[in-house]
Amino acid sequence: MPPSSEDDVAERVVVLPKPLHARPAGQLAQLAGRHKEATIQLVAGEKKANARGVLAVMAMGAVTGTEVTVTVTGPGAEAVADEAADILTAAEAADA
Amino acid sequence: MTEGLGLVGIVLVSHSEALAEGAADLVRQIAGGATVVPAGGAPDGGLGTSPDKIEAAIEDADAGSGVVLIPDLGSAVLSARSVLADLAGETTAQLVDAPFVEGAVAAAVAAGTGADLPAVIAAAEEARDAAKF
Repeated sequence: MPPSSEDDVAERVVVLPKPLHARPAGQLAQLAGRHKEATIQLVAGEKKANARGVLAVMAMGAVTGTEVTVTVTGPGAEAVADEAADILTAAEAADA
Repeated sequence: MTEGLGLVGIVLVSHSEALAEGAADLVRQIAGGATVVPAGGAPDGGLGTSPDKIEAAIEDADAGSGVVLIPDLGSAVLSARSVLADLAGETTAQLVDAPFVEGAVAAAVAAGTGADLPAVIAAAEEARDAAKF
């Protein structure tokens, strides 16, 4: 892996079609767990959380319509950012 | 990461069978893939704790990488301790001082990503300092 990959940064801005409740928070934490070399940071207004911390992500209390900025730093940042954005924007009826 | 072994298991020890099972359902939903085993209620299904249920749950949860026990209150701690004392040397299970729901969620998410026993314990303990909102 080229050394420059450590410096990869990718950003996605999404508007939540559903609240960022427990299940998507869990999926983000699992994503972070699969990409241990990458850091996934979420920002919604004044709230911030590292995706690794499932409780911190839930504590953001981001509701439907909230704009969330996902910043991924580290190897494979673009692909990880896409996956994170997919989780945040996936349609889902249940709020668990 | 664990190597060649299964995931760290989580046992939820509660005075209430329904609480332990409900919490396990919720945690599995969030954490996906983690092994979460409820050990709730007295032997007759009423409120209380059962060393036999706790011991059986530890066996069910143990995939070779260790087990974390999260108690709800009071005598759940005492019952879990007595089981661990009886199993001394035969189990890697450890009792963790963590909030029941948040600790279980944090521990199971960590376990589900292949974290080792110390990392899963740390995740559960950190939940005590996590604000709910």
